[in-house]
Formats: sequence, C-alpha cells, structure tokens
Amino acid sequence: MTGSNSDVQLVGVAKTYGDSTVLTDIDLEVAHGEFVALLGRSGTGKSTLLNLIGGLDEPTQGDVHLLGRLLSSLTESQRSQLRAKSLGFVFQFFNLIPTLTARENVELPLAINATPKQEGRKRARTLLGELGLSSCENRFPEELSGGEQQRVAIARAIAHDPAVILADEPTGNLDLETGKSVLALLYEICRRRGRTLIVATHSDEVLGLADRVLTISNARLEEARR
Amino acid sequence: MIWPLLTASRRFYFRHPLQLLLAILGVALGVAVFVGVDLANDSARRAFEQSEASLVGSATHQLIGVGTEIPNEIYRELRLNHGPLIAAPVVETEIRLAGAGERSFTLIGIDPLEELDFRDYSGMSLDVESDSARLIVEPDTVLIPASLGAALGIELGDSLTVSVDRRAAVPLTVVGRVGDQRYDPDGLNLPLVADIATVQELRDSGTLTRIDLILTPDELTRLEGLALSGITIVPAPSRSRVFDELSSAFRINLTALSLLALLVGVFLIYATMSFAVLQRRSLFGTYRALGVRRRSLLISVLCEAAAIGGIATFLGVLLGYALAQGLVELMLRTIGDLYFSAAVRAVEPSPALYWKGLLVGVGTSLLAALVPALEATRVTPRTAMSRAELERTAKRVTSMGAKLAAPCLAIGLIALAAAPRSLTGAFSGLFLVILATALIIPTCAAIGLRAARPAAERVFGVPGALAVSGVTAALSRTGVAAAALAVAVATVIGVGLMIGSFRGSVERWLETTLLADFYADVDNWDVSANAPLDGELGNLATIPGVRGVSLLQFTRLTTADGEVSVRAILPGPDGWGLTILDDGMGDPIERMDAGEGVLISETLAYRRELAAGDDLALPTGSGTQTFAVLGTYRAYNTDGGGITMPLSAYQSHWQDRGLDGIGIYLDDAVDRAAVREEIFALLEARPDVQLRSTQAIRSRSLEIFDQTFRITEVLRILAGLVAFLGLLSALLAIELDRGKEIAVLRALGFTPRQIGTLSLTQTVLLGTAAGVLAIPLGIVMAGLLVEVINQRSFGWGMDLVIEPAPIGLGLALAVVAALLAGIYPAWRMSRSSVAARLREE
Repeated sequence: MTGSNSDVQLVGVAKTYGDSTVLTDIDLEVAHGEFVALLGRSGTGKSTLLNLIGGLDEPTQGDVHLLGRLLSSLTESQRSQLRAKSLGFVFQFFNLIPTLTARENVELPLAINATPKQEGRKRARTLLGELGLSSCENRFPEELSGGEQQRVAIARAIAHDPAVILADEPTGNLDLETGKSVLALLYEICRRRGRTLIVATHSDEVLGLADRVLTISNARLEEARR
Repeated sequence: MIWPLLTASRRFYFRHPLQLLLAILGVALGVAVFVGVDLANDSARRAFEQSEASLVGSATHQLIGVGTEIPNEIYRELRLNHGPLIAAPVVETEIRLAGAGERSFTLIGIDPLEELDFRDYSGMSLDVESDSARLIVEPDTVLIPASLGAALGIELGDSLTVSVDRRAAVPLTVVGRVGDQRYDPDGLNLPLVADIATVQELRDSGTLTRIDLILTPDELTRLEGLALSGITIVPAPSRSRVFDELSSAFRINLTALSLLALLVGVFLIYATMSFAVLQRRSLFGTYRALGVRRRSLLISVLCEAAAIGGIATFLGVLLGYALAQGLVELMLRTIGDLYFSAAVRAVEPSPALYWKGLLVGVGTSLLAALVPALEATRVTPRTAMSRAELERTAKRVTSMGAKLAAPCLAIGLIALAAAPRSLTGAFSGLFLVILATALIIPTCAAIGLRAARPAAERVFGVPGALAVSGVTAALSRTGVAAAALAVAVATVIGVGLMIGSFRGSVERWLETTLLADFYADVDNWDVSANAPLDGELGNLATIPGVRGVSLLQFTRLTTADGEVSVRAILPGPDGWGLTILDDGMGDPIERMDAGEGVLISETLAYRRELAAGDDLALPTGSGTQTFAVLGTYRAYNTDGGGITMPLSAYQSHWQDRGLDGIGIYLDDAVDRAAVREEIFALLEARPDVQLRSTQAIRSRSLEIFDQTFRITEVLRILAGLVAFLGLLSALLAIELDRGKEIAVLRALGFTPRQIGTLSLTQTVLLGTAAGVLAIPLGIVMAGLLVEVINQRSFGWGMDLVIEPAPIGLGLALAVVAALLAGIYPAWRMSRSSVAARLREE
C-alpha cells in the first residue's frame, strides 16, 4: 500500500525489450479524478506505459501501484480481478469482440464482475443510449462505423464504473472530427463520474482538456509545457 | 520476384513452428494410413499369388476328383492308354513341424522325374550342397525352402519331425534347400517338397490330390471326351480364382477403410494447408498492393505447399511402410484363418505404390493450398486485406459446400441403385453419401449452435453467449476440421454398429446351426448308406444320456463357376438347424428330405444369382447333374457359398461313404461330464477323432470373428487419430488467429483460468456438435455397410441392430478428442502475453 491519495503511482520504473530500453526512471503519480495525457510520437513507449499501469505487462525495474496495490505483489489472477473491477480500457483499434453484439460487448465487463444479468443488460442499454447508440445495440462490430465502434468501446470501458480508465490512442483510428467528439465524450464521462483518465495519444487535441500533459522522450517521462 | 515471397513464407513457418509441425504431422499421418493399407494389401495379394504359383507352376489344367481324391490307377491309365501327355501327379497336404508352433505348412508330394515341365523342383535353384537325387532314391526325405531352414535353424542332413492331421509324427531327413526364381526368389512362400510316395505314406492314403497337365487344345478336347468316372478337368489356377473371389471382397473392404482414412486425411491436409494460406490472406493483399503479380503469388504458395507436402509425404510413406509391416501380418493371419489353412509370409509390395502415396500426399497439399490462394489472388488487394471479407468468403464457401451436398447425395444414391450388384458402385455411393454429409456439417453445426445461443446466454449470461458465438464464428475456419472429426466419429459409429450387428447375427446363426452338445471331427470313417447308425456310430448313439447323433460329410466341388461346398447331413433329433430365408413353394426342408432338390446358402444364391425354383448344375460321380434349388438359408461360412442336402442323396450321387463330423445330442438332465467321459472312452481307440464342445466351437468362431475385425479396429483408431490431429491443428490455428481477442478479454479482467475454461468450453461445444451430427451419418453408414457393402462383398445378409453403445462411444470419442485437442491451445491462450498480443495489428 502507498500512503498517498494517488490512483496510480510508478516508482523508478524501467522497461526494456532485449537491448532496447523503452522506458527508464519513470516516476509518476496520478491523483484520483485527474485527467493525464501522455503525448508523444509513435513508438516512444506510451502504450508500454499504459500496459504497465494496467498490469498487462511487467516492468523490468521499479514498482507500479494501482489504487494502492503493488502490482508485482499480486498473482496473475489477482491482477485480472483488479482490472475487472477497477480498470477500463479503450484501444486504438476498438478491439470489440467480433462475435458479440454492441450490447453484449458492453455487458461483458459487468458479467465478469458477476453483475446480475438483468441489471447488466439494463445498464448496457442505458449507457448505449447515453452515447447515442440505442439503435446499434443488436448490431455486430463489423456492422458499425469506426466512430460507433469506439463509442461502444468507451461504453464497455466505463460500464462497470472503474476507478481508472486507460485509453491508448482512442482517436488514432478515427477522422479528426469523430476523434474530437469521441475524446470529448470520454473526458465528459470521466469528469462527470469523477474517474481517473489516462490517455496516450500522438495528437494535441487533448491539450485543452487534460489536467496534466506528459511526454515521453528518450525513454523518460517529462512534464510538457502548455 | 518469387524469392522474397518464399523467404517470407519460410519465416512465417519458422515463427510458427508448431503450426508447421502440425501441418507436416497431419499430412504425414493421412498419407501413412493410405500407403500403409495399400502396401499391406499388395503385399498380401502378392504373397498369395506366389504361394499359388509355386504350387500350380506351369500347368494349364488340372484333373481333380469330384468329391474324393484321384486313385493312383487313373494316373497310370492316362499314361499308358491316353498318352503322350505332359502330366505330373501331385499330392498336397497341410503339415505341422515340431518346433514351429501352431503354424501350418504346405507339403507337396511330386514325381521328380515329371516335374521339370511344371515346377522344376528337381533341378531348380538347389544350392550346391543339396542332393535332389536323394529325394527319389531315399524314402522319408524332404526339400525345404531356404528361408524356412534359416528360420528354424535346420541344416542339410538334419531331421525334421512332421505330422499330418492327428497322426503320429514322422521324422524326415532334409536333403536340400529350394528357391524358385520365377515366382518366389526369396522362397518365402514355397512349400516343402517330398517324393509322392513319402507324402502318401504320411497321409496314409494312396490317392492323388490332382494331376497337373500342360495341354494343347486338341489334347484338352480328347481328355474331356474320356468322361473319366468321378474325375473332372478344370483350368489350372482355379484355386487362385477362388482366392480372388473370396479374399478380394475382404481386401476391398480394407481398401475402402484406407480410403476412408485417406478421406479424413485429405480433410486434415486441406484444413491445415488452406488455413495456413487463409491466415496470411491480408498479407497477400499487401503483397498485391505492393505490386506483386497474381501469378507470382500463386507460384510462391504452391512452392510452399509442395515443400511442406513433399517433406510430410516422404515421412508419411516411411510411416506407412512401418504401419504396413504390422497390418500385413494381421491381414495374412485373417485371410489364412478364413480362407486357407496355409500360412503365407509377407513379401515386398510393388514400388509403384510408394509413388502413388507420394502423388496423393503432394497432390492434395497442392490442391488444398491452391483453392484459397486462387481466391485470395482473385479479389482486389483491399478485399484480400479485409478480415470481414475473409469471414464473408469463408461463409460463402461453407454455404456453397452445403448447396453441393444435395446433388452429391443424389449422385451417391443413383450410384447405389444403378448397379445393384456392383461393389465399386456401392463404395462410390457410400463415399458420395459421406462427402455430402461432410459438406453440410459446418452449416448444420452453425445452425444448431446459433439456435443454442439464446439458451446458453440465458443460463450462463454473456460468457455463455461468448462461448457459443465464438464457436459459430470459428466454424467458418474450423468447419473442415469439424467435418473431418464428424466423418471419423461417424466411421467409428457406423463400423461399430455394423460389427455389432454382424456379430449378433453370427451368434444367432451359431445358436441355430450348432444344435448338438458335442461335435466330433472324424477322419477316414465310412458310413453305411442303408444303415448309417450301425457299428461304432450306433454304440455312440446308445450311450445312456445321449439322445441322438447327426452326421456330416463335407466336400468341395470344383465347377466352371468356382468352387461349391457341399454339406451332406443326416440331421439329429433337433432337425437341420437351418434358417430358411427364401422358402419358395412348400416347406423346403420337407421337400429336400423327400429328395426333390437341395438348399443353397444365401452367399451362393447371391454369387450365382440363384433363387428357389432355379436349377444348379454340379459335377457328380456320374457326370454333371442338375439339382433343383428349393430355398436359401443363412450361413456365414467363408467358403464362398455352398449347398446342403441329405446324406443319403449325397452318397447316391457321389458314391462317397466318408464322414467328416458327428454331432452328439445329450438329454437335458444328464451329467454332461460323465457322458463326455463315456464318449471319450468309446472314441479313445480312434486317434483320428477330435471331440469339441459346442461352447468351444462357438467361442472359437467368435474369436476368429473378433480377430477378423481387429484390423478394422486398428484402422478406425488411425482415422480417429487423423481427425484428432486435424482438430488440434485447427484449434491451434484459431489460437493464433484469435490471440488479440483473447488479449482484450484478459485486459477486461478475464483470468487465465477463465480464458482456458472459455476456450475448452468452445472446443467441447465443437466436439459435441461434430459428435451429434456424426450420429445420423454413422447410422446411415452402418445401414449401407450392412445392407449394401457386406451383401455385395460376401453375399451375407444380416440384421441391422442399432445398439446405444457404439453411438455413445462415438459421441464420447468426439467430445474427448475435442477436449484433448483443446487443452494445449487453451493453455497457450491463457498463458500468452497480453501486452504483446495487443500490440499486434
């Protein structure tokens, strides 16, 4: 446990792949309800940092604390449970399950958290309605546009009301206008619900929205000037 | 242009070594089963041909006795009064050798001076130490095949202890070793050779088995005009023909099983190779976008398929060779048990078969890769790169396959009906029915699973829906593997039902036929025509506790249309023990008793296209006579078909007073052991009698039955193994394919255990779907095997009984095979790196 009020805390984190150092000396604290943007070009290590925060990958060095729990002290199963309860993911390529409908995709994290089925269905429908996707609930991902798919992905990420939402290039596969509206939506939802949001992106459209903007340069994390 | 593509292909497989290994294993196993059975079939056929050729030699015709052997005087008369003729007397008998176990050998007695024109035993390939002259001048001498000498460690001059039937063993001196350059250079299937007098002494009989002849057409006409009493002239290789008739059906059935294994193997090869291509479809789209020509892309795919197919086929042929070694022994033992008493050793099969195996393996691999590659290169690069389009294409292909099923089934049914006696037509029909079902299985499974989805969702929520929909979606890619599994399971069910039905019918037949309590095999017993139960037989019948006896004389008649077995019977107190199938007019047994004609087995009826009311011509002691067919009866003898007639009628037509068997009937409430002792005491003086209980005969018969189908079991297991590998390969391919989806689920909070469970649930669902769909196909297959294939192969009719055990076994096999095949992919899915998989796109 950490003594701070941070949802996310990284201490001296490094990550290397073979001879290649992707991240080094990373110290980061993200407070509850904060919106942090990770800015940087492709390949700088933004996704890796998000994967480390989400417990999808393990650091070569250093500690990652999520909601006060040291991830390296948890078993794989405990990390999965932590993700299931407290984390929401939004991916660049949406990563919706192609064999499930939009509603079923949104219901999925609720089902993992053992939410009663009827309640889960109702919540998924409400969320899809809030995101303007009521007419799409029974459609499969391949039948949705890119913007619609990303909105379904956002609904899925927030369906179980996680404390932290990690978004990896959420607008990277969308046109400018759609990207902006999707980002605004994500921001709005997190702000309204008081959730922590960390977005990795290479575009600067988040500058006006984020509480803090960080960049990764030469494998190190730096505060960006605004 | 092609080289970079080939390099990329090579690296693809180096990065996915498991997929490469499974592809090679799948193709190799498919080829091995086909090649193994083909080689074993060919080896067995050639072994019998060699054995036959070494016995018949260059003879064009043979004189044989009708019902009995030929007296020596006939040969003398031919030589003295009807010469000049190229003729050689032959006595043939089965012997056992001390130290050679239960195996029997053929001993042929010849006149060495007459043999040069026929088998050339006296002068042929004797090694330098052999002294063939001693065969003529010294009694009790023998020539042995060189291979036998080596196997038993017998040297020239050693003594060989030989016994014929149950007579006392006699020592023979080995004076030479033989080989036959023309027919059997290895000497594997040559008989032992002795002077005719030596063999006659061993048999305690002065008759000849046959007289071999080399005849001109004029000489043949002249001999046919002689009308020698009790003697008939037939073309020489008649025994070969009988072998061909009888065992070819057996071998065709084995070939059919090997083709079935090949069909499953082809499915596997197709599934493996086509998936390897499908998986890189978007990559092919990228190649095309970069400017690679369609032709170059196609050539590179075909080169890849040829390389994998070539390596795998080579391994498959080697594996098939090893498999053939085991199968050929099983086949020879079964054919030997069923059709001939002589043991035959396996020989090298024809080299052409290896090339055939190569062609099948490489050809199928190329075809399997060509179809998806053509499709991928035919569409625009953008379409090729689209995953959704790939799914749509797969669904289109599946749907097209389902549409082809109906015409395929129709052609199959036409093939079955068009030529009602053709075995080829029957097998073609059966295979088309199987193919039609296989084509429709992916669609049926998809429909069934889609229908099950709401129920799964109701019970298990979204994870249930996820499991079912995952299988449904994967069917577009695993459809071929599912079809292969279903066909393999249907084979297990179909063949299992057929064997069960057959075994049940044989048991009922034995129950009906073997009415006595004991049966005595006798040799050299004469029975009086007017008072058959006088003398020793009378004494037997009057033992207290014995309520009656039945008598049997068995003989084989050689006719122009093949051999016919004759069972001449004096029935016991419980009647004839025949199940009449086609009773014509009136009670056929009463009419036979009244001397109106004979009853024929259903096998003979089928082979000769005879029915009640027809006539059957048979050679008798007084020339060819016609017998009225009064009806047909069920019989599962493997002698190719026979007739049954009263013993008295047989004796009057063939003047044969011999007896081969006695059935002894006991009273119900008798001390069986005590009566048996009394029977033994009475028969003790006759060493040529062997007493066996009915129970022992039944057990032995069923033992032979089970042994006959052991090879079928082996092939069924192999077909199942091929299907299992196909499924494993497909599931691993899916694991590669769905890696990202699984990673997303992990990111959403699925634990590794939940991922593994989900994956296993899906494979079990797939296996269950394949198993359930295999049940109707298995029942149809059993029906066709029972009603069509066995009928046309052997002339045997039987009642199809649908027992739950083979169906349950098949279903369990499908589920367990799927479960086993799914464990490793599930483990891999649960262990894979989430971050790495999410990075892939």
